[in-house]
Amino acid sequence: MRPRHPLHPYWMLAPTLLVIGLFFLYPLCVAAKDSFYRWDLLTEPEYAGFENYTRLARSGELVGVVGRTVTFGLVVVGASTALGLALAILLNRRGRVYAFFRSAIFSAYVVSWVAVALLWMWILDADAGVVSRAFRAVGIPTMNWLGDPRSALYAIAFVTVWKITGYAMVVYLAGLQAIPPTLFEAAALDGAGPMRRFIHVTWPSLRPTTAFVASTGLIMSFQAFDVVRVMTQGGPVRSTTLFVYAIYEEIFVNLRVGRASALVMVFFVILILLTVLNLWAFRAGRRMKEAT
Amino acid sequence: MRRRDVLAAGAGAVLAGCGRDDAGGVPLWFSYGGKNREALLALVDRFNREEPEHRLSAVYQGDYFELLAKLRTAIHAGRAPAVTHVVAEILPYLAHAEVLEPLDSIAALQKDFGFVPELTQNGAFSGDKNRPVYALPFNRSTPIAYLNGSILKELGLAPPTTWDELETFALAATKGKEGERRYGFSCPIDWWFWVALVAQAGGELVDADNRFILGADAGVEALQFLQRLVHELEVMRPPSGRDYNAWQVQNQEFIAGRVAMIWNSTAFVRYLEDNAKFPVVCAPLPKRDRFGVPTGGTMFVLPKAKTGRMPAHWQEAGARFLAFMARPDTSNEFATKTGYIPVTRAGVELLETSGYYEKKPNDRVAVEQLRHVKPWPWNKELFRVQREVVQSRLEACVLSREDPMATIQAAQHVIAEGP
Amino acid sequence: MSDLSRTGPVGRSLRGAVLAIVALLWVGPYLWMTITSLRTLDEIVQAPAYPLPQNPSLDAYREVMTQVPVGRYLVNTLVMALSIATLQILLALPAGYALAKLRFRGRGTAFLLVLACLLIPPQVTFVPVFTMLGPVGLVNTMGALVVPFAVSAFGTFLVRQALLSVPDEIIEAARLDGASELRIVYGILAPLVRPTLAAMFLFSFVYHYSDYFWPLVMTTDDENRTLPLAIALLREQGTGVRWHIVMAGNVILSAPVLAVFAIAQRQIVRAVAQR
Repeated sequence: MRPRHPLHPYWMLAPTLLVIGLFFLYPLCVAAKDSFYRWDLLTEPEYAGFENYTRLARSGELVGVVGRTVTFGLVVVGASTALGLALAILLNRRGRVYAFFRSAIFSAYVVSWVAVALLWMWILDADAGVVSRAFRAVGIPTMNWLGDPRSALYAIAFVTVWKITGYAMVVYLAGLQAIPPTLFEAAALDGAGPMRRFIHVTWPSLRPTTAFVASTGLIMSFQAFDVVRVMTQGGPVRSTTLFVYAIYEEIFVNLRVGRASALVMVFFVILILLTVLNLWAFRAGRRMKEAT
Repeated sequence: MRRRDVLAAGAGAVLAGCGRDDAGGVPLWFSYGGKNREALLALVDRFNREEPEHRLSAVYQGDYFELLAKLRTAIHAGRAPAVTHVVAEILPYLAHAEVLEPLDSIAALQKDFGFVPELTQNGAFSGDKNRPVYALPFNRSTPIAYLNGSILKELGLAPPTTWDELETFALAATKGKEGERRYGFSCPIDWWFWVALVAQAGGELVDADNRFILGADAGVEALQFLQRLVHELEVMRPPSGRDYNAWQVQNQEFIAGRVAMIWNSTAFVRYLEDNAKFPVVCAPLPKRDRFGVPTGGTMFVLPKAKTGRMPAHWQEAGARFLAFMARPDTSNEFATKTGYIPVTRAGVELLETSGYYEKKPNDRVAVEQLRHVKPWPWNKELFRVQREVVQSRLEACVLSREDPMATIQAAQHVIAEGP
Repeated sequence: MSDLSRTGPVGRSLRGAVLAIVALLWVGPYLWMTITSLRTLDEIVQAPAYPLPQNPSLDAYREVMTQVPVGRYLVNTLVMALSIATLQILLALPAGYALAKLRFRGRGTAFLLVLACLLIPPQVTFVPVFTMLGPVGLVNTMGALVVPFAVSAFGTFLVRQALLSVPDEIIEAARLDGASELRIVYGILAPLVRPTLAAMFLFSFVYHYSDYFWPLVMTTDDENRTLPLAIALLREQGTGVRWHIVMAGNVILSAPVLAVFAIAQRQIVRAVAQR
């Protein structure tokens, strides 16, 4: 449509573009620039060239952080996607009981990260936590889940899975309900059992949903912060220092704005790659939907 | 930063409303909870009653390091509080950044408070004694050993006074199979206790030119000793958790009788005595080549008025509060409620003559140990070396059994690279 | 409904087992949180083996209330979350209208700019935004908590998509009636896309009510402290275990969101699943 007045569209967009400019695009430029300085917030910044980047790379910090974040992301995505799908299939039924269970699982996605993290800290407490006590009671050797560098990353991954599986399940439920019932009926007429129906009907129809759930989950897990800050502060021995926490630590604990900004720039590039993946998954999903 | 300043001025003029008011009271930031919180809040209340013209309002900011993170970012944002307390190790840096008010320039503080010398800025740091005073002692401590009195009696042993005796004691006190073992010894894998071990092993953090050597051989030996206790003798379980979480976990395990001896701050004398079901026996830390402990805890500082866009009278209020807290009666109240060292000489004498120490000998251990205090180097990198370079490497070395020599060398290497 | 619904006894008992595990995993923690919050310090210290509190007590809640100005922090949190959710809708409507319905130079670029913001989450911008707002005295203000979120790129995109399906004739008719553009946007189009707006509002509210990250980095003292920050601080050091108090704080923090969720579950699920 033609605008009533040629300037109208610009006025309508002005507040949005202003906020976008001030709080999305301009900060990105500032971060790019700050990444070339040595600055501790309190004294004058000094130009440092590529030092922030080279030091991140040489000290092994970057490799460590990326490695941990990728491990965390893969564990979280793998587990939450598989669990989400399984739960969606099993709970895709009418009835109050099922509705209640669906709500219970999804509610974890809605509740504050702080509450979830504190709650699981208590449950996983090495000494008085209910898990350790139950294990001891039946004689299974227990571990200091959050305090042991071998297990801490997986412990917070577990908590993350607990929180976001509800999301995966809800998206899968929507996907399941979009599958035409006739497909199942046809398969049933052919004498296919539940397993065959899953392999030949459900799974292929849900492949786009899976691609979407997995890539969104990957982005979510790359942005994880609250769970680390509340539960482990990146420890023990930096074993849970994920990407965003590393940035946070550089600026707010170590007061290294430059190095934090350099990490921000690397993080931004990684996010772009992940989003491209996400879009590709989304598009592929669309195409497959149209094809069926 | 010019473009940013222009933007700053514009947005600031429009939106900020430059000054701050004190409708909510003059802000005093504090960290650390539990008995510290209760004791400090009671004293703030008393100050507000005694000097109603300065109404302080205490704001909790998490543990020491969370508070420091908030303080430094708040200074950047022009939101610093009127008064706060900080760990001693950060002082050289904050002084270097010129964000602290020199206290000897403030009229209300230009008197001799009769502090215990080892606990003041000059006593706690080595080097030039003519630098301005930026901090007054608040909750000051040394590490001490806490022993389970029942286990001591059962074994018929005295508290260890040397590293060898510590091994002997820990071996004797450790019993039970893995999973439900009672450990002989525990101590957080933390900078503070490592510094104590380095001092005992005869090392120094810096060389004569104030460059960090991290104890050199002594730094390595301190780590080897911890590794030996944990992995070889299996008589020590490092408490889990980062920073003070570990200290807290350790207290719990001690109270529950799962560890016979812990090293911790004198700050917990009252807490452990009140909560343990057995007699708690405190003792000085042992020696190897010599006795040696660092001081710990925090000191009061007044951020410069410009770092908080503060109303004129905030600094006055802050200074009055510092003077209030430097009185023997108030500082003793805080000390006896917690376990920290009384910061005034008059206060210590009062506890001696009134028979308090006779009744509570555990409180006296840290005071007597002050003879063996090793001052911190006055180096603006001190805090960064502690937090960024050493702390996480200690954990990695002791828990994951990395080579102590390589650990110290890697740390020295990072320090040599410069900030 | 689904393919597995016509299953035999094996399927049924499998389903029963899964339901039991689901209950243990997803309902159990909430129960444990509530039960813990009703215990006394003694029970916590002794690490009780018995599942239910011996002398249920509300002391932990009293302790939270005296230690933390819960009311004030809750108001801060609500003001923040409601302002963000409201602003996002107020700004997304005209922007979505322009992008969906009006032809003008630069429309493609503007749309791309909005979409590009999906790539720039707060975890990327917080460092520069903090250093930017610090010197101008905006850190620690409600503005610093709200304004950076006034635009939701995804919300703007959703509103645009919803408006695309509104027939042009409605707008033309309104223009003929002499309605101003703003009246068209807020008075005529908004009601037509109400389900989208409701989903967006709820999702945004719930998200920002629970947000920990941004308030953590953008506030330095307690003036604008939000509830999640305060509850996380309850686990203070220097004491021993105080999980009953922390769990009481957790219950206080979670209750409002769970209530909203119970009432508006359908919309929230829609907001999440509608991509």
